[in-house]
Amino acid sequence: MADREIRTVTHRTPPLDIMPDEAVAAIRDATTEVLERTGIEVRSRAILAQLGAAGAVIDEETGRARFPREVQAGALTTVPPDLPLASREPGLDIVLDGTRGYLGVDGNAAEVVDLDTDQRRASSKADVAAGTLIGDALPQIGYIWQPAVSREMPVPSEPLHNLEANLNNTGKHIVMMTAVTPEQAEASAEMAAVAVGGATALRERPILSAFQCSVSPLVYDGGPLAAAVEFAKAGVPSGFMVMPILGATAPITRAGTMVVNNAEVIGGVIAHQLLAPGARTFYASAVTTMDLWSGAANCGGPEDLVFQMANAQLARAYGLRSMVGTFATGSKTSDWQGGVENGLSGFASWISGVDMASGAGLLYAARVFSAAQLILDAELWDLVCSTSEGVRGWDAESLAVDVIDAVQPGGHFLDQDHTLTHMREVWQSKMFHRGNWEDWEANGRPVSKDRAVERAREILETHTPYPLPDGAADTIRAIVERFEDEHVEAA
Amino acid sequence: MSEEHMEQLRQALIKADRESGLAATEALLAEGADPVIILQDAMAVAMFTLGAMWSRGEVFLPEVVASATLFKMCNDLVEPALLAAGGEKQITGKVILATVKGDLHDLGKNMVGAMLKTAGFEVTDLGKDTPTQKILDAVRELEPDIVGMSALLTTTVPQQKVVIEALKKEGLFDKVKVMVGGAPVTQEWADEIGADGFAPDAPEAVSRAKALLGVAV
Repeated sequence: MADREIRTVTHRTPPLDIMPDEAVAAIRDATTEVLERTGIEVRSRAILAQLGAAGAVIDEETGRARFPREVQAGALTTVPPDLPLASREPGLDIVLDGTRGYLGVDGNAAEVVDLDTDQRRASSKADVAAGTLIGDALPQIGYIWQPAVSREMPVPSEPLHNLEANLNNTGKHIVMMTAVTPEQAEASAEMAAVAVGGATALRERPILSAFQCSVSPLVYDGGPLAAAVEFAKAGVPSGFMVMPILGATAPITRAGTMVVNNAEVIGGVIAHQLLAPGARTFYASAVTTMDLWSGAANCGGPEDLVFQMANAQLARAYGLRSMVGTFATGSKTSDWQGGVENGLSGFASWISGVDMASGAGLLYAARVFSAAQLILDAELWDLVCSTSEGVRGWDAESLAVDVIDAVQPGGHFLDQDHTLTHMREVWQSKMFHRGNWEDWEANGRPVSKDRAVERAREILETHTPYPLPDGAADTIRAIVERFEDEHVEAA
Repeated sequence: MSEEHMEQLRQALIKADRESGLAATEALLAEGADPVIILQDAMAVAMFTLGAMWSRGEVFLPEVVASATLFKMCNDLVEPALLAAGGEKQITGKVILATVKGDLHDLGKNMVGAMLKTAGFEVTDLGKDTPTQKILDAVRELEPDIVGMSALLTTTVPQQKVVIEALKKEGLFDKVKVMVGGAPVTQEWADEIGADGFAPDAPEAVSRAKALLGVAV
């Protein structure tokens, strides 16, 4: 396992800016105005009081926190510039320096496509474990959310069961999605500390990060903000992940949606910094559009692509690292729609310089996890990674003038040493069918999804994750059980 | 009563033109028009037409929601006259909607409410983060045909079961039909908790609600 490394996209320098500078400035100005004039609703009197003490203008009756612009500016100066996201397995850290971008396993799907029956069903802890294990095996996966939900577990401890399934099945960096109370955050950090060798080790090498979500438009529940503060105490970074929907929970215009999007992220970051100055954080969004006819969320299409790129650019403008919703096709199966939406989505996140692309493995606009889709998304990312390497080099060896001369006009390059030396640099697909028509017919006209299902099964049968320290699994189990004793009412 | 104002009201409702719609309603009432006729021949006809246009893909959901908002405003003007005249409202059915306790995500519920109003249902919206007791009280007081509950989070979906159990315990479950919805909700879940109906989106919710009440879809 020592030679494992994570496959990343190589970012352009500079990355593609989808918006002109004046558009970024306009969105930032509009955001400042929204946070000052409209403010955000915070559903916790205690947190409102703390925000008030730190300079926010509080309206207790409406639960509104408004941030004067000088308070906004001040809060944004306390964000640390670095964001170390460590792995438990050596050599697999997430290195965020703008030169590369990582893919993560997407998450929290309430349902999964069963690998055996190909039917949709409610998710369970076993699905969290399986999705994590597959993500751990795939070199294209840099970090892991909770791919599904331990729905059979009691609601208060469900996130901890998800995290336990993560920790037992991967040595890669884990991002906690649903620790939304301070108690859940504290227990999550404690579990991660056990896995990495103690609270100090976790602070030095945070193998866990988290994000908290807004309720669009412009609402934060009290629990998530308190959880972010609790995570900060343990040295666990907390991003702010927003998911406004164009036309429904955000204005119908692209720019208007980006203002709500940005105001929720930056409002969350500002609140976090006022409550826990110096806490590590990041800019996270999975904004999408509403289907105008049915009202459902789309997750795929040109608006989503523009938003992905705009999010990366806005994050840079604030000096924050970006985690941007990528892939998560609206398709119900791994078909043409899924390929088109996710192919373009992966490309958009690369070319715009997204730091963390979240993520792989979901169908039905991020509602259903599919192990086969995870395999296919990883392959798609690999294709984008290879594309992002460009022509790779233009030295004499790469330009190959000597070989061209040796072959002479009309010859071929098949058996040249130069060909044999560099042959394995050519991108190889594991999921595309690139053989002949006859083989394809003889094999029953397989589609990529069929190969992906086989690969998923193979990984589940053969892959072994980086082991936890001796006894850690039991200690982690005990933390979950203690939490249940304290926080889960007897049925 | 002028047919001109009746048509103005129909067109205003279809186009969600508030100014024109409210003006037409007021003009009709001032002319002494029968509130039952205003409701049936103008407002209900307009919403039926709009629903058909939506089915054909000629209008989008935001337009339907905007029209439903105007419908309520016009209805608020007409209703006192109707009740004063001793008339009774003609409705498809009475529905209570709520987003369950602990969940602030009520967009889907709001969409369902708008679509149901368009289909002639009388909708009482209890809002979001709704305590179970509030739902029980509303069922007792309003005696609805249907209780619809939404939940977006896997952590709040179990509340739908809690409400159903409470309805059973209070002897109210057999008096209403219960419908559930929300992103993580499926037919399997609805069956498991004993709900009478489930719909994956707002348009389908209207069809299922009608089916539950035996109204022609």
